[in-house]
Amino acid sequence: MIKRLLAATSIATLCLVSGASAAEKVEMWVRTGVGDAFKKTVEAYNSSHENQVAMTEVPFSELVQKYATAIAGGQAPDALSMDLIYNPAFAAAGQLEDLTDWAKSLPYFNSLSPSHVKLGTYQDRIYGLPLSVETSVFAWNKDLYKKAGLDPEKAPASWDEITANAEKIRALGDDTYGFYFSGGGCGGCMIFTFTPLVWGSGTDILSADGKTATLDTPEMRKAVDIYRNMVKKDLVPAGAASDNGANFLSFTNGKIGQQSLGAFAIGSLVTEHPDIHFGVTLIPGATGGTSSFAGGDNFVITKGTPKMDAVKEFLEYIYSEDGQKIMAKYGSLPTRGDIAGKVLEGLDPRLQVGIQAISVAKTPYTLQFNDLINSANGPWATFTNAAILGEDVDGAFSNAQSEMQSIIDSGQ
Amino acid sequence: MTGTGSKALLPQRKRRRRSGWRGLVYIAPAMALVILFFIMPVIFTGWMSLHNWPLMGGTRWIGLKNYVRMFHDARFLSALQFTAYYTVIATVAIFAVAFPLAIFVEKQRRFVSAYRTIIFLPVVVGLATASLLWVWLANVDSGFIGPALKALGLADKSPNLLATFDGAFLTIVIMVVWKIAGFTMIILLTGLQAIPSELTEAARIDGAGRWQRFRHLTLPLMRKTIALALIISVTGSILAFDQFYIMTSGGPQNRMISVVYYIFNQSFVSFNLGYGAALSIALLAILVAISIVQLWLLRAGEERP
Repeated sequence: MIKRLLAATSIATLCLVSGASAAEKVEMWVRTGVGDAFKKTVEAYNSSHENQVAMTEVPFSELVQKYATAIAGGQAPDALSMDLIYNPAFAAAGQLEDLTDWAKSLPYFNSLSPSHVKLGTYQDRIYGLPLSVETSVFAWNKDLYKKAGLDPEKAPASWDEITANAEKIRALGDDTYGFYFSGGGCGGCMIFTFTPLVWGSGTDILSADGKTATLDTPEMRKAVDIYRNMVKKDLVPAGAASDNGANFLSFTNGKIGQQSLGAFAIGSLVTEHPDIHFGVTLIPGATGGTSSFAGGDNFVITKGTPKMDAVKEFLEYIYSEDGQKIMAKYGSLPTRGDIAGKVLEGLDPRLQVGIQAISVAKTPYTLQFNDLINSANGPWATFTNAAILGEDVDGAFSNAQSEMQSIIDSGQ
Repeated sequence: MTGTGSKALLPQRKRRRRSGWRGLVYIAPAMALVILFFIMPVIFTGWMSLHNWPLMGGTRWIGLKNYVRMFHDARFLSALQFTAYYTVIATVAIFAVAFPLAIFVEKQRRFVSAYRTIIFLPVVVGLATASLLWVWLANVDSGFIGPALKALGLADKSPNLLATFDGAFLTIVIMVVWKIAGFTMIILLTGLQAIPSELTEAARIDGAGRWQRFRHLTLPLMRKTIALALIISVTGSILAFDQFYIMTSGGPQNRMISVVYYIFNQSFVSFNLGYGAALSIALLAILVAISIVQLWLLRAGEERP
């Protein structure tokens, strides 16, 4: 009996082995914190195709250095879902596969998200194509609004209103808070959710050519004041002060009244936390206006991968209507403009706010994004913590301003 | 070894040379390992430090510019300052806990091996694991320390220990003492046990008190052991990285960037491998200098005081 069992299992194993060797297995890395859109697409692809995609999730704060180290060590994955702001730097370093000819042969090439393609282009060659699009939006918890005696359907339109609402929600009790942000030196979280306050008011943290740091503006002072005020009034959980991004989606615990988050999170909330009833709107500027951060990932292919055809097949699946539908269901806005309407049909209407945000959204363009903004020890991350939660606001402004400028200058 | 008897006539020198060769053969494996895994990487690091060496892309010879740069690098200097501060506090704290513990577990008493085991247990936990454990313990909402303080009525609100420099620094020092003191204790214990009991008895008969015996007998006889424990502790503190990276990601407003953390940031966040290599060489020089000074101060080479 045991012998027969052994024989059966070994035959089964043999079949599995031979089956796998016929198909290609694409190694792909993706950063954490971007929701489930990509994971679900991979699952759908693997169950319907002979080629398989093996996905590895890498902590978002370490993906860039891990990938760069892996390239240097010859251990890089075949493809990567890369935060699009890093695309120029990697393309410039000559580490990515040139996709120009193939991309231009795609019938829908011209309707792919233009800002992604722009960031994926370096010296007129294309090294990255849009994989996921997300924008930052402001979300509020309708149940808590109701409990606090606020109109759950009315979106707050200014930060005065948000602060007033936060106070009423905080009054509900011990561990219910009015507002949340990841203030423990998470540069990526804060550029995504906090800079829209100054962008909406018409200023920026870098000059248009990216060569001057323009951090210290009245608008930024006002934005910092708004957040400081909410911290001072105890409307924000104490944990925010040391959250380096790990708890970015605290909103999902149902005890946070309001928070700025991304379209990916809308997808996660809708599919995984159906019990949380929430509304979304554009993030108000500190002194009026609205804005958003247009982010997302580009699909890049490591130079010299032997599995080019399999990778392309996978990317074509992502761009198919099926693929786009799955991505959108989990919160990634459609990357193909030509079928966006069809893709979003029947999906959660709140995703439409994410689409609206694209028209007012910005994406900083700098080769030093990691050093300046995203690094947990960079000037921007330090600034957000020091200015909002520290004692010395003026010192925080002048330190960050001069350090950003010196990093920009040393990179010239 | 045939014909050893006839070879006895050979000149002494030749014999010594032969045994010298044999000695070399015996230490060859160890030498090979040291050359392969220490000497060569150091030489290569030195070579890298003379280049502008980005993680991706081409390298360029720039001579000593990396070394010149570090003297004007305010962030490096503040990292040095913080590391020195941390090293002093952590080493003093570790010894202040480990020495009494060593004296406590040296005497034969009931359950002494159980005490030794319990005190030594945290040492076998990895530093990264211990850091993660303490991140949880110090968590303001779902942790242990903050909520416990609140439950005991010692604080109105659960404090966020990792949000301020003092709180985070204190947490890290306590974590490191908890984790390392057991190891230092074992080293000191071996030194204590090596002191012949006749000496202590003789001193006691001569009328020396507890403190006098400790000051004039135990301490001088433990000089070598203390030197070893001190060098291990100081070197470990200067090379500290995991706890700052994991527990505070550099601390509130970057005030907890140790030298190794800064080297890591330069190499793998800013991708300046060349500058990172230069900083590593500088750190190596500092470590060697500090170790020499410590050995000299404690005169560990001398047989007896």
